[in-house]
Order: sequence, then structure tokens, then C-alpha cells
Amino acid sequence: MSAAARTLALAALLIFIALPLVQTVVLSFTATLPQDGLETGQFTLMNYARIFDTPALVASIGNSFIYVTLNVALCLAAGLPAAYAFSRYRFTGDRHVLFLMLAFRVTPPVVLSLPIFILFANLGLVNTPVGIALVHCVFNLPIAIWILESFISAVPREFDETAFLDGQSLPGFFFSKLIPAIAPGIGVAAFFCFIFSWVEVVFARILTGTGGKPITMAINALFSFRTDIGLVMAMTVFSLLPGVLMIVFVRRHIARGFVIRT
Amino acid sequence: MTPHSNRAWLLLLPAIAIMGLVAVIPLLTVLNYSFHDIFTLESRYWIGLEWYGEIITSQRFWASLARSALFSAVVLTIQVPLGIAVALLLRSTRHPTLYLMALALPLVVPWNMIPGMWLTLVGPQGLVGPSLIAAGFDYKFTALHTWALIVTMDTWHWLGLVVILSYAGLSAIPRPYYQAAEIDGASRAAIFRHIELPKIAGALAIVLLLRFVDSFMIYTEAFRINAGGPQGATTFLSLDLGEDINAYSYGSAAARAMTYFLIVITVVWAFVQVTRRRTP
Repeated sequence: MSAAARTLALAALLIFIALPLVQTVVLSFTATLPQDGLETGQFTLMNYARIFDTPALVASIGNSFIYVTLNVALCLAAGLPAAYAFSRYRFTGDRHVLFLMLAFRVTPPVVLSLPIFILFANLGLVNTPVGIALVHCVFNLPIAIWILESFISAVPREFDETAFLDGQSLPGFFFSKLIPAIAPGIGVAAFFCFIFSWVEVVFARILTGTGGKPITMAINALFSFRTDIGLVMAMTVFSLLPGVLMIVFVRRHIARGFVIRT
Repeated sequence: MTPHSNRAWLLLLPAIAIMGLVAVIPLLTVLNYSFHDIFTLESRYWIGLEWYGEIITSQRFWASLARSALFSAVVLTIQVPLGIAVALLLRSTRHPTLYLMALALPLVVPWNMIPGMWLTLVGPQGLVGPSLIAAGFDYKFTALHTWALIVTMDTWHWLGLVVILSYAGLSAIPRPYYQAAEIDGASRAAIFRHIELPKIAGALAIVLLLRFVDSFMIYTEAFRINAGGPQGATTFLSLDLGEDINAYSYGSAAARAMTYFLIVITVVWAFVQVTRRRTP
């Protein structure tokens, strides 16, 4: 491909990616309903100011952060020992467990949404960020296990054996040796868990009917017969910022691959 | 040689406890419901396989299944080759990380916001809406246009995942491979077929699986664009299920959910068999 064609293709790609985002940002700075003496179409910061004047929206930002942090922490804490087991040992039924993990990762959330609601209502986990954090493990825990397993398998076995010969316990080895050695893997796993959890809406909706709404559901609640699109877009821009930060943090490791073992 | 030790199961306990609670118990509950006629959760009657019989003999189910299968086929045919092409293109740019970051952006947008962003973009006040409308674009009433919009939106959303994972596979190819191919006078196509494709096969397997299930079960995005219309042309499997749930028809919804689950698991199982045979 010639240099000119290549530049053209890349430019087209960037424009395609940017268009909806630019549209969103532009509208978030535009007055879309006639209010506060502003005419529609005028440039304004009011949409962003209104986010902070609306308690439900402010609360939703907190809820989103709580559930997503909790979910990532759960997936890493439960995923790391499991990934270590799959990477370092063979055991009876290991392939079946791996296939089961794959099966749950690909189970459509709508399939599970009804019993999850009933079960969580009985456990008192409805309308709290904790419920969402738990249920998002259905698809994120398998992802965390695959990614961490890839990274652990890249570490030679002698690394573990040396530590154990030095008399280190398994938990001690995890914290002082293994986690530092696979730090990029932890970052990549956290990144993928974060994005899949942050953007999910089926479980989030069914579990937060009346309270504990995350950002996604708080945005849904803004739609009415006279929707303030500017406010919706400002809130959407807001919901993108943590994801953008995550991308910046893991940018060097984003393209580090992982394989699903079955 | 990997040692055999059943004590490794102990390391799986936390993961198994979580998955048991949020995945195994709910799945068994759905399975149980699917054999019942449910008026309220307290009064239900065992009816065996009746719901399943009703579903697989209904025209509506097969029509939705065909639409979902077609949608997955279209999405995979477009996104996978395009994603690989972009990944190959990025290999020859000076700042691939910047492009990868840009491509990752749509992945962090909440799913329920994506249709809104696209509808505004192609609406009468949007950045590209006026010229599209002038060209005769009408996603509300022309089925082909609704499809085009959903496929474009889905490609925007997920292209980054295909590119990122393919790029990762390509980066793992040692430079001497390319030099050897050059000395042998291998064509560009031969390099792709014999050097690059085998290296990205693992990543592609993940991409194919994830893109298949997510497109096959597309709900939020498709529903928001045109609520399954025009005239049911974009009523995919999950939209049917959503209707059952909204109508509080739990038994039938559960049987439908189990049917979808079985379809997805069969495809995934077949896929795993094929990939296992290829990589001994």
C-alpha cells in the first residue's frame, strides 16, 4: 500500500471513531432546552453545572465507582489463585472447569437476569452497588482468570521453586514475588474487568429498580417526554472519563495478548 | 511437565464460591422455571417440556433466530477482516499506541448510551444527519437502513477489540521471520497466510467467540435504535425474550432463555472442539 493510501485509510478510521464522540461532546456544551434565559443551540457550561445540582446524578457517580472498584477487586482476588492453579498444576476436572468458565462468560445476561433478581432480593443485595459488583463476576471472573493465567504462564516455573526453597509460604510468595512479576497482567486484567463492568446495563438495570443506581441507569432516568439531551450528553461525557483514564494507564500493555485455555 | 495435584482445587475455592452464587444457582433456577407454568412465584405448575414445544414450533422463534444468525454473520464478516487489516496497517505506523488508544475509546462507552449517540449523529440536527437524510437515508421505516445503522454502530463499538487483540498477536512475531520470508521472496499474501495468521489465531479465536455471543444476543443497542422495527425486521432473539419478561410470562421466558443458552453453548462447544484439534 502506498504511503498516501495508508495515511488516507488511517484518517478515515480516526474520523469514523471520532464522529459520534465529537457529536456527544458538542451537544454537552450546547443548550438543548430553552431555560435560564438561554436560547437553544447556544454554547453553555450549564449542562455540566446541572449534573452537580442534581443529587441523583451525583449519587450515581459514587455508586458506579463503588460497584466497579469492588468488582475489579473481587475478580482479581478470586482470579489470581485460580489462574495460578490452572497455570501450574494439572488436576482432576481442570478442563471441565475451564470450559464451564467459558460457558459462563458467554451466557447472555438476559438469561440469568430474572433468577438473579429473585435470589438477590432474598439476600438483601438489591438496590446496592454490592449486588452489581457480585453479579458482574459472571463474565469478569473468567476474563480475569484467562488473562492472569497467560501472564503467570509466561513466568518460568523455576521462579516459584526458588521462592519455595527459600521457605516462602504460598500467600507470601503471591504478595512479595508473583504479583510484582506479573504487574502488567494485573493491570490488563483490571482494565478489561473495569470496562466490561462499567458499560454493562442489563444486570445493572434489573438490580437497581428503586435505588443505588449507577451512572448508566441515572442517565436512563433522565429520558422523559421532554428530555434535556444536553444534560444527557454531559453526563455521558462524564461517564467516559474514568474509562479514558484507564486507557491512558494501561496504554503500553493494552496490546499484550492473552489466550483462552479450555 | 506440569505436576498433577488435586490440592490445586483449594486455590479455586474463592472463584467457585462466587460463580456458584451468581452463575450456577441462577442457571439451575432458570432451568427449573422453564418446566413450569408460573402465575406467581408461589403458585406454579409442572408442565414438563410444553414451553419448549411451543417455542420451537413457533414461526416467530425461527424468524428471530434467522435474523440473529444473519446479524452475527454480517458482523463477523465485516469486523474480523477489517480489524485484522487495521492491525496490519498499524504495524507500519510510527505511533501505533495512539491509534490503539483511540480505537479503545468506544469500548468504554456505556452500552445504553451508544444508540443515543448514533441517533443524534444521524438525526436531523446531527453532524452527518442532514446529508444522509438528503441522500434518502431513513432508518425508521426502511429495514435495510435500520440494519446498516445497527451494523455500523456495532462495528464502531467493537472494532477496537478485534484490532487490539490481533495487534497483540502480530507484535509477538520475531523480526527474523519476516527477514527469512523476504529472502525466500515470499509474497505479501504468503507472509500473511503462513507467518501472521498462525500467530494471531489464538487471539482471533477469542475475538470470534466474544463477537459471536455478543452480537447473537444483542439487546440494548438494537432495541434503542428502532425497537425491533420496521415491521420486526430487527427483532432479534433477545428482544423476543425481553417481551416475555416484560409480560411477566416467567415460565415461557425461562424456556426461551434456556433455549438461547443451549444454542450458544453448542456453538461454543463445537468451536472449542475445532480449536483443540488444530492445536494439539
